[in-house]
Amino acid sequence: MIALFIDFARRFARNRAALVGLFLVLVVIGVAIAAPWWFPRNPLRIVGRPEIWPFVSPRYPLGTDSLGRDIAAMTAYGARTTLLIGLCASLTATIIGITVGATAAYVGGWVDELLMRLTELFQTIPNLIFVLTIVSILGQKIEYVTIAVGVVTWTPIARLTRAEFMSLRDREFVQACRAMGMGSLRIMFGEILPNALPPVIVLSSLVIAGAVLFESAVAFLGLGDPNVTSWGQLIGDGRTLIRSSWYICAVPGLAIMLTVLALNLVGDGLNDALNPKLRDR
Amino acid sequence: MRRIIIRRLVQIIPLIFAVIVMNFVLIHLAPGSLFDVMTSEQQITDPAMLDQLRHTYGVDQPVTVQLAKYIWSVMRLDLGYSYRQNAPVFDVIMQQLPATLILMLAAIGIALLVGVTAGVMASIKVNTIWDNLISLGAVFFFAAPSFWLGIMMTVMFAVKLGWFPVGGMRTIGVDESAIGAVLDVMHHLVLPATALGLFYAATFARVMRASMLEVARLDFVRTARAKGLSGGRVVLAHVMRNAMLPIVTLLGLQLGTMLGGSVVIEAVFSWPGIGSLLFDSVMSRNFPMVLGVLILGSLLVAVCNATVDLLYLRLDPRIKAR
Amino acid sequence: MSGFSRRDFLMTTAGAALASGFVGSSSAATGTPKRGGTLVGTWGGFEPQSLFVPAGGGSSPYFTSTKVFERLLRLTVDLKFEPVLALDIKPAEDFRSYTIKLRPNVTWHDGKPLTAEDLVFNAMEYWKPISAGVTLDALEGAEAVDPLTVVLKFKVPVPEFFLKSVLAGKAGLVIPKHIYAGSNIITNPVNNTPIGTGPFKVKEWVRGSHVEFARHDGYWNAGLPYVDKLVIRWWRDPASRSAAFEAGQLDIGTFNPIPAPDIARLTGTKKFVAETKGYSNSAWITSVEFNQRREIFKKREVRQALLHAIDRSFISDTIFFGRAHPSIGAIPSSNSIFFTKDVQDYPFDVKKAAKLLDAAGYPVKSGSRFKMSLVSAGWFEENVKIGQYLKQAFEDVDITVELAIPDRATSLKRIYSDYEYDVAVSNNSGSIELIPATTQYYTTDGIVKGAAFRNATGYSNPKMDEIVGKMAIETDEKKRVSLVHEFDKLAAIDAPILPMVDLEPVTIARADVRNHSLTADFMGESWAEVWLDR
Repeated sequence: MIALFIDFARRFARNRAALVGLFLVLVVIGVAIAAPWWFPRNPLRIVGRPEIWPFVSPRYPLGTDSLGRDIAAMTAYGARTTLLIGLCASLTATIIGITVGATAAYVGGWVDELLMRLTELFQTIPNLIFVLTIVSILGQKIEYVTIAVGVVTWTPIARLTRAEFMSLRDREFVQACRAMGMGSLRIMFGEILPNALPPVIVLSSLVIAGAVLFESAVAFLGLGDPNVTSWGQLIGDGRTLIRSSWYICAVPGLAIMLTVLALNLVGDGLNDALNPKLRDR
Repeated sequence: MRRIIIRRLVQIIPLIFAVIVMNFVLIHLAPGSLFDVMTSEQQITDPAMLDQLRHTYGVDQPVTVQLAKYIWSVMRLDLGYSYRQNAPVFDVIMQQLPATLILMLAAIGIALLVGVTAGVMASIKVNTIWDNLISLGAVFFFAAPSFWLGIMMTVMFAVKLGWFPVGGMRTIGVDESAIGAVLDVMHHLVLPATALGLFYAATFARVMRASMLEVARLDFVRTARAKGLSGGRVVLAHVMRNAMLPIVTLLGLQLGTMLGGSVVIEAVFSWPGIGSLLFDSVMSRNFPMVLGVLILGSLLVAVCNATVDLLYLRLDPRIKAR
Repeated sequence: MSGFSRRDFLMTTAGAALASGFVGSSSAATGTPKRGGTLVGTWGGFEPQSLFVPAGGGSSPYFTSTKVFERLLRLTVDLKFEPVLALDIKPAEDFRSYTIKLRPNVTWHDGKPLTAEDLVFNAMEYWKPISAGVTLDALEGAEAVDPLTVVLKFKVPVPEFFLKSVLAGKAGLVIPKHIYAGSNIITNPVNNTPIGTGPFKVKEWVRGSHVEFARHDGYWNAGLPYVDKLVIRWWRDPASRSAAFEAGQLDIGTFNPIPAPDIARLTGTKKFVAETKGYSNSAWITSVEFNQRREIFKKREVRQALLHAIDRSFISDTIFFGRAHPSIGAIPSSNSIFFTKDVQDYPFDVKKAAKLLDAAGYPVKSGSRFKMSLVSAGWFEENVKIGQYLKQAFEDVDITVELAIPDRATSLKRIYSDYEYDVAVSNNSGSIELIPATTQYYTTDGIVKGAAFRNATGYSNPKMDEIVGKMAIETDEKKRVSLVHEFDKLAAIDAPILPMVDLEPVTIARADVRNHSLTADFMGESWAEVWLDR
C-alpha cells in the first residue's frame, strides 16, 4: 500500500505543473484555515475609508471595497466559502454520479435506460439557469447553493462511472466474484468501484473547479448568501467600479482564477499519476 | 441509419415531458408567483380586479389542473401565453432565439477554431515551450469566469481601444444594406462570442491535445507513417480526423451549458438573446416563459446530440450503425 | 392655468435652470432649436415587460409609454401645472365637479381625432378601475358636455392640487377609446405597440435590445418633436451604459444610468453633463420598515432606538456616493410644497440607541438583546450594500441579525404578501401630492395583503387615519399644507416606517443634447422638445 502510494507520488511529482497546482491549493487551504486568526473580526465589517487601493495602506494590504471593507479579509474568508462549496458540491455530485452510473451499468436493462434518460435530462437543461431556479426556490443560503451546484454537475461523473463499469463488468475478476456468490452491492462497490475510481477521482477534482466557477456566477448575479463572504459576490459588488477601482474585481477574480487553475493542474497531475496508459508523456 | 434517427427522435418526447413536469413543480415550489409579481408591479389592489386576473392567469385552479392543461397545450404545439409580455410565449422566444443562436454558433466557431488549432499545435510540439504556453493559456481561459473576462474585454477593446462596440447586436438608427447589416452584426459579435467561446476553446484544446497524442500512438498511424506518408499529411488526414471524435462528443454535451453560459454573457454585453429573457422569467416566476425556453432549449440540445451521434458514424469508421 | 404659451414656459424654465447654476447650460434652451437627428436614450433599469402596462408596471414601461401617450397636463420643474391635452381644468365652487376643456385638433397616431368620448372612457374605464385605483374612489361619473368638454363628478370635495396631480401623474395617461373599448385593457396585445397622441409613434421593438420611435408628423404641437427618431435602448448593467456613453452610442440616460463614480469622470471631459432636475415628482426614497406584527417592533421605543443606530450619512455618502441625503420625516425634502423640517429627528447615536433599548426592556443577555430577521429588497444594487451595512449597525447595538437579500419576486412576497420579516429595507417613489403614494404606508386602509408598496408594517393609529382623511377633502391649499405637517410629525414620532435617505437621481446627457430635464418628472415626459445641437 505504502509502496503504491510512493509510486503514485513519484508519478504525480513528475508533472511539475501539478506540483505548482498542489502548492497553490495548499496555499488556498492554508489561507482558508488561517483566516479567523489572521482577521479575527467579521470580514464583512466596514473598517476603513472606501476605495483604498492595494499596497497603499499597510493596514489594508489589498485595499478596501466600495463600502470600506477590508478586501484582504474578505478574500481570505472567501477562500473558506469557495473551498467549502467546491468540495461539498463536488462530493454531492460524485456521490450522485457514482450511484447513478454504477447502478445503470451494473443493473442494465430498463434501469440503465431510465437512468441514462435522467442523466440526459439534466444535461439538456441549461445548468446555470437550473442553479438559479433552485437557489431562488430554496433561498439564498450557502447550503442551497452547494446542493444546487452539486445537482447540476453530477452528469459527467455518472456517464464516466457507467462507462468504466461497463468495461469492467464482464472482466474475469468480476465474473470470478459472481461465481463465488458475492452480492451485487459488494461486487459493485467492493470490487468494481475501486478499479473504476481513478478516472472518476480525476473528474471529481475537475468538478470542484467547475463548482467554484458556478458559485462565482451565482454570487456575481447577486443570488449568493449575503451572510458569508464570497469571491463572486465581491466581483459583483465591484463591477460598477470596474473603471475607477478595478482592483476590487481584479483581486477576487484572480483568486478564483488561481484556485480553479490550481485545481485543474492537480486534476491533470492525478490524471497522469492514476492513468498508467499515459504515464510516459 | 434511419432507425437510429427515429429512435433518437422518439427518445426526445419523454425527455421533454420530464423537463415540463420537473420544472413546473420546481417553479411552483418557489416563493412568490408570477401573479404576485405582476400585481405588485402593476400595483393592483382592487379585490375584484385581483380575482379577475387570477382567473385570467389561470392561477385560481389547482396546480395539477394547471400542469395537465399545460401539457395538453404543449402537445398541441402551443407553449401558452405570457401575460408579462402580453404575447404568445412562442412569439417572444422566436424574437430572441436567433440572436442567441448566432452568438452560440459564433462562440462554437471560435471555440473550435482556437481550441482545435491550439490542441493540434500543442500535440505536434509536445513537451516544448509551445506546448507549455498553449497549456498555460488553456488553463487560464478554463479558469477565468466568463463574466469577468467579458467585462475586462469590454473595457480593454471597446472603451480603451475602441475597436468594437460596447454592447448590443446592431448599430441603432443606421439603415444599411444587407451586407452592411451582416458586417455590423459580426462586428458586435466579436467580443461576446469570444468571451463565451474562450472557455470552450480551452476545453477543446486540452481534449484535442490529449486525444491527438492518444491517436498518434495507435497502430494505424504507425502504418501510415510506415507507408511513407509525410508528417503533415498523417496529422491532418489520419490523426486529426480521429482525434476530433471526443471534441464532437464534448460539443454535444456542452450545448446545454453554453445556453446557460449565454445568460451571463448576454447580460454583460446587452446581447438581445434568450439568456436575459430566461433570467428575467426565472426571477419573475413567469413559468410559461421559463418552460417554453427550457422546452425549446432541450429540443435544441437533444436534436444536436442526435446529430452528433450521426456525425460519429461518419467520422469513426469503426463504429457501425446498430 | 389659462393664457399659457409654450415659449413663455421655455423662457421661464430656462431662466430657472440657469439661475440654479447646476450645469444649467445643458438643459437650457440656448440657441434656436434644430430639427432632425436620432436621439438615443436609456434609463438606469431594464427593459419593460411590455411597452405600455396599463396598470402601471413600474418605471420601465412608464418611460416607454409616455413617449406615445400624453396626459391632460404636466408639472413643470418649478411645480406649476401646464396644459398638454387639456386647455383648461376648472373646479366648481364646491370642488365636487371639475370641467375639463380639451385641446382641439388633436389626433391619434391612426388619424382619428381625440374627443370628449375618449376622455369619458379613460375616466370611467381606465383611470378609476385600473390605473388610479383607490385614488379616484370619489369619482362618481364623467359626462361629455360637448365634443371637447368633459365634466368629472365626485362624491366628496376634491382638492384641486390633488386632482391635477393625479391627472398629470403616472395614472393619467390618455388612451384611445376606439382601440380599447370592449377589450380587456390590461391584456390587450396592442399594449406592445401602443397608439397615442404623443410626439412619437412606435416603429419597431426589438426585444432584448431597443425600441425605435418615429416622429409623429401629425403631432398637435406643430414643429415638434425636434428629433426625427427616438431610440430607447436597454443595457443590463451601469458599467456598460457608461461605456456606451463614451463610445458615442448613447445620448441621454435618466435615473442613475451609470455608476456614481463614473459621473465625475464623464462630466470632467466636458462632453457630458449631469443633471439632477426633473425628479421632484417621482422622488425616490430608501426606507426602513418595522413589522409591528412582531412583539419587539411593536414597541415604538425599539423602532426609535433602531433609527438612532443607523448612520444615514454613511448610506448617503458611501453607499450612494453622495447621490442621496439623509431624510427628515416621511416627506422627501425635494417636495418644496409639503416638506417640513419641524419633525422628530433621529441623529446617529449608538449610545442613545443602546440606552433606549435597555429602557424598552431589551438588555444585553449573553451578548445579544434579541434576534432579528432583516430583509433588504434586492431590486437595487445599493439595497444589497444597505442590507449589509444595517446588519453591522444593528450588531453594534448587540442585536443578532439574520440578513436576507432576496430577488425581486421573493422580496415582494416576503415584505408585502407574507409580512415575513422583522425589519425590511424597501423603496418608494412618491409624487409631490402625498395621497396616496406616501400616505398609504401609514394609514389603516393602506394595509392590503399582497399589494406592494403600501402599509406592510401593520401600523394602525386612528389619529393618523383622521389626519389623512382630512387631507383628502381639504380644498384650501394652506390648510392642507398644515394638515400635511401634522401628518409628517406623527409619522416621524411613531416611525412605523421611515425613509432613511432621499435619493438624488441624476440624468446623464451628452453636452449637445438640449432642452432636457424641464419638467418635474422628466423621465415620464414625451421628450418632444429635446433637440440635438449637432
